[in-house]
Amino acid sequence: MRGDQANRLNDGGLIDRSTPLNFRFDGKILFGFKGDTLASALIANGVKLVGRSFKYHRPRGILTAGSEEPNALVELRSGARREPNTKATTAELYEGLEAASQNRWPSLKFDVMSVNQLFAPIFVAGFYYKTFMWPAKFWEAIYEPAIRRAAGLGRAAGVSDPDHYDKAWAHCDVVIAGSGPAGLAAALAAGRSGARVILCEEDFVLGGRLLADGGTIDGLPAAEWIARAVAELEAMPDVRIMTRTTLFGVYDGGTYGAIERVNDHLPVPPKHQVRQRLWRIVAKRCVVAAGAIERPIVFAGNDTPGVMMASAMRSYINRYAATPARRIALFTNNEDGWRTAETAIATGLQVAAVIDARPDVSPAHRALAGRGGFPVLHGSVSGVDGGKNGVRKISVSLTGGARGEVEADGLAVSGGWNPAVGLTSYHRGRPKWRDDIAAFVPDGAPPGMAAAGAANGAFGLGACLREGFEAGAAAARDAGHSGNIGSMSVADDEAFSLTPLWHVAGKGKAFVDQQHDVTASDVELAQREGFESVEHLKRYTTLGMATDQGKTSNIAGLAIMAAVSGKSIPETGTTIYRPPYVPVAIGAFAGHHRDENFHATRLTPSHHWAVEQGAVFVDTGLWKRAQWYPRAGEKDWLESVTREVKAVRSGVGFCDVSTLGKIDVHGPDAGAFLDRVYINAFSSLAVGKARYGLMLREDGIVYDDGTTSRLAEDHYFLTTTTAKAGLVMQHLEFCRQVLFPELDVQLTSVSDQWAQFSIAGPKTRDLLKEIVDPAEDLSSEGFPFMGAREVALRGGLKARLFRISFSGEMAFEISVPARYGEAMARNLMIAGKPFGVTPYGTEALGVMRIEKGHVAGPELNGTTTAADLGLGKMMSTKKDFIGRVMAAREALVAPNRQVVVGIKPTDKARRLRSGAHIIPKGETPGPENDQGYVTSVCFSPVLDQWIGLGLVERGRERIGEIVRAHDPLRGEDYDVELCNSVFYDPDGGRQRG
Amino acid sequence: MADFSWDIRSPLDRALVAGPYGAQGEAGVSLTEIRDFDLVQVMARRGKAGEMMKAATARFGVAAPETPKAIGTADATLIWSGPDQFLVLSKDGKHSIEALDSVFAGSASLSDQSHARALISVSGDKARAMLAKLSSIDLHPDVFGVGAAAATSMDHTSVTLWRGQDRADGQAVFDLLVFATFAASLWHTILDAAAEYGVTIGHSEDLA
Repeated sequence: MRGDQANRLNDGGLIDRSTPLNFRFDGKILFGFKGDTLASALIANGVKLVGRSFKYHRPRGILTAGSEEPNALVELRSGARREPNTKATTAELYEGLEAASQNRWPSLKFDVMSVNQLFAPIFVAGFYYKTFMWPAKFWEAIYEPAIRRAAGLGRAAGVSDPDHYDKAWAHCDVVIAGSGPAGLAAALAAGRSGARVILCEEDFVLGGRLLADGGTIDGLPAAEWIARAVAELEAMPDVRIMTRTTLFGVYDGGTYGAIERVNDHLPVPPKHQVRQRLWRIVAKRCVVAAGAIERPIVFAGNDTPGVMMASAMRSYINRYAATPARRIALFTNNEDGWRTAETAIATGLQVAAVIDARPDVSPAHRALAGRGGFPVLHGSVSGVDGGKNGVRKISVSLTGGARGEVEADGLAVSGGWNPAVGLTSYHRGRPKWRDDIAAFVPDGAPPGMAAAGAANGAFGLGACLREGFEAGAAAARDAGHSGNIGSMSVADDEAFSLTPLWHVAGKGKAFVDQQHDVTASDVELAQREGFESVEHLKRYTTLGMATDQGKTSNIAGLAIMAAVSGKSIPETGTTIYRPPYVPVAIGAFAGHHRDENFHATRLTPSHHWAVEQGAVFVDTGLWKRAQWYPRAGEKDWLESVTREVKAVRSGVGFCDVSTLGKIDVHGPDAGAFLDRVYINAFSSLAVGKARYGLMLREDGIVYDDGTTSRLAEDHYFLTTTTAKAGLVMQHLEFCRQVLFPELDVQLTSVSDQWAQFSIAGPKTRDLLKEIVDPAEDLSSEGFPFMGAREVALRGGLKARLFRISFSGEMAFEISVPARYGEAMARNLMIAGKPFGVTPYGTEALGVMRIEKGHVAGPELNGTTTAADLGLGKMMSTKKDFIGRVMAAREALVAPNRQVVVGIKPTDKARRLRSGAHIIPKGETPGPENDQGYVTSVCFSPVLDQWIGLGLVERGRERIGEIVRAHDPLRGEDYDVELCNSVFYDPDGGRQRG
Repeated sequence: MADFSWDIRSPLDRALVAGPYGAQGEAGVSLTEIRDFDLVQVMARRGKAGEMMKAATARFGVAAPETPKAIGTADATLIWSGPDQFLVLSKDGKHSIEALDSVFAGSASLSDQSHARALISVSGDKARAMLAKLSSIDLHPDVFGVGAAAATSMDHTSVTLWRGQDRADGQAVFDLLVFATFAASLWHTILDAAAEYGVTIGHSEDLA
């Protein structure tokens, strides 16, 4: 089953003819071999037309054989795995591969939108800034969507990606980008010296250009030399060779980004394996041996299918044994291009002509032309006859002004080579121009990085080996390795001769950026309209902004700009290079952080018990907290929450409050330390007592609150809110280490050490008597309000008991070491059974705190002062503390500040909503009359109506006043009464009881 | 009077399913949760680091680590956790906070962390490859030898990581102390990372 493969040579190439593969392109079944790319397999099957262009829907074929490809983009795979804009030139062929051409309708051969070409005069650079301007409202609704539909590339899958992606770190002395002769030589030198080496190669085979161009190294054929080098590297334990891996970026501190296409070459990743892996490689040194990219010459019709880079044509013929054309014309301005003519002759293909823009051709090449029976034309290609079926005829402007024509079905083009300067330029390095090779070479590379070989402008094989070896040795030496590097591999250098040529004037569209359909005349237009800077040129014409990032087009574009603006190329300069070097899927950056693994989660010690109880959970930060515990027959959350509140207020309930931040504050100066971080005093707190504390930021605004207990003379146990647990720990460490290093105090987070439960309700003591050792005195005298001490539990376990209340009821908080947390929840259920104990969640907790007028997150919102919260009297005047001075600023003590006040609708049946704005009666809603807003609301089972807290201007002076709650978001406006914020048991008798 | 049982339950009790996981065949990664240990944070009081170190040497027979190291003694592991502080990991109350209280009286503050962490021991052929997905630390044997330690993070979760004594078969062992409330979440992340190598999962009451 090898199929037709009419354009496959009978032998040769690095394909595995014993492993034939079938694949589909636009539904048609075709055949190829293992070792093919999709592009080489398409060529072997005689497919020339591969896609339609972005703007003009022009027929396009395959231009290159690498990751610089602008044209041959396909939708690879199908269904949820469909990947748009995949380069056929890098997609490895596998059994059953499915690919579809893009940007065409109804079919690739007959594309309705190719009518765009007729309107080409409208679609010049910046056309959408100039047209579709009126009426303005049509832009978003009509013009832009229509343009996007007509342009655009492939279609995203539109559903969740079924595959997994991975991220990993790697560390080495020397990371090498590219495994051509320079990269392999660098790896050999560095590896032999004893350095840890990572060699990244984006291809699936090592060797770089050697795979297509061969050569003789150390007297061996290139393939044999590669095999020996790879065998030697593989035998070194600290050398890691990573194929299918592109080094795409360099970041601070010698960190490099690489994307490994682990299983892109298979239809579906094997079970438990990822599709791609994103690497962060930390390397002391980096050798960029990423090679060079052959550059096109811009001429009319240069995008016709069948026009191909000369080096790509050699790759297809030599590496893949696939012939892109039978009768080949070559257009070159340099010596290297001639290798394609040599390859064609050696393979038995016809050479129609060589069009050489240089004044002279070497005697050897003249002789080749004689043997091959083809003419050498001095001049340039000025036009191409052909279309979707490929090249038919080539027009040539001969030096001296005459015109010629060449009949051929393929045109190889070589305009010289551009070193791949991406990696070396990612830290704002500007490549420098070298006249001798008419190309930019790396300059200003990031620290620790050096380029070698073709990436450094050294195009000869011998030079590549030499530069690579020296760079590898130097990198290893700099990283501290001095082992014996052995001898350097040697090869001859090819002759180099080039006459720069960027653009041939002629009739018809001459494309600079084929992926974005930017023509030479677009560049000229940009210059005429004042967009002369290369950065403006780029944005105005979109030159180089496609997924190929202009790898084949940027330099030609700026060379044309230089010519029309009368500047030199180095004066014109390059745009800024930015990573990634190749597109990297967002999925790879996300790794496994998706769906339920989007972020880490924290579970309370009683989590699994709460799951058994059927709790509904809410995400609070990273925590999963039980929000309420629905019971059979309850119709909604409100019914469940109301039941929980009533059960607590009339009996007893408990709630896991382990999410509160908990900090051990140790040391002889612990009290003095807390005096400075809290607004109220703690050094005066007696051992065995708890106190509510409030801390401010340096700017006088409230930071956090919580209860802190003194467990020993030199040991306090501090609690924070759930939300600020980590931040308060950081803040206190900063205070300890930086602000008050003179204090002898030690801090430890014990948030995870303790399972803590709040037990609340008039029957709390009854429940506790069941579970606490009978020897413990829990009476009001033996354990007064705000008491805190260790107690023994039945069964011998020790617990900490704190008589504190957030609910306003008689309440205790009890702490046990966390691994006993689940047992504690179960035992509270057992102990409380006779009293109808009810577990309650964060909603009931919230209802009870609002009924009690306690402030929480919505009021501690980063804008409020202690006085705003009604806690101004807590600010000690006898000591200094963080935020004291700034809290006295005029605006923070202004009499008209918005302060916490209670709010209830005058219509008891009405639901109060948080976020509603407070407007005086009779005034027009608006910023000038806005006096605050509702911060927290709940349905109060005690009052049988909705109530809330709000921040209202002079609120405490206006108790009893009726104002408007204006809620434009929900379209509501109703009267509310400002009232005391403590709705329930204002004198506090219940919690002291 | 009701009967109360105080069952101790590891934070990984539900998440950990003993046996094989992921790719079949020879497991590349072995994961063992060590349960029911004592862990005490020892922090020198101001200007008392020398006294603390002396007290530690007298108690454990070795000097406590002053750099990121984990030092094994006959019945405890001392793990560096910051300047002038270290963790004492032990079993069966030998070096519990109650036992150490008098040892460091006046020279250091002690905080019990026994229940605040879960301890996961990782070994196997692919242990390093798996940990490279979670940790930015270079675990090459030349860099992170036996006794090396790091206070670091994995999957945005704080972790104390050290290399314990090699297994009898010569395999490296990496120990992770992770905050208890994050443990189940990190455990799933570890399984995700290890699945392709094949995993064998277990738990133990013994410190390695």
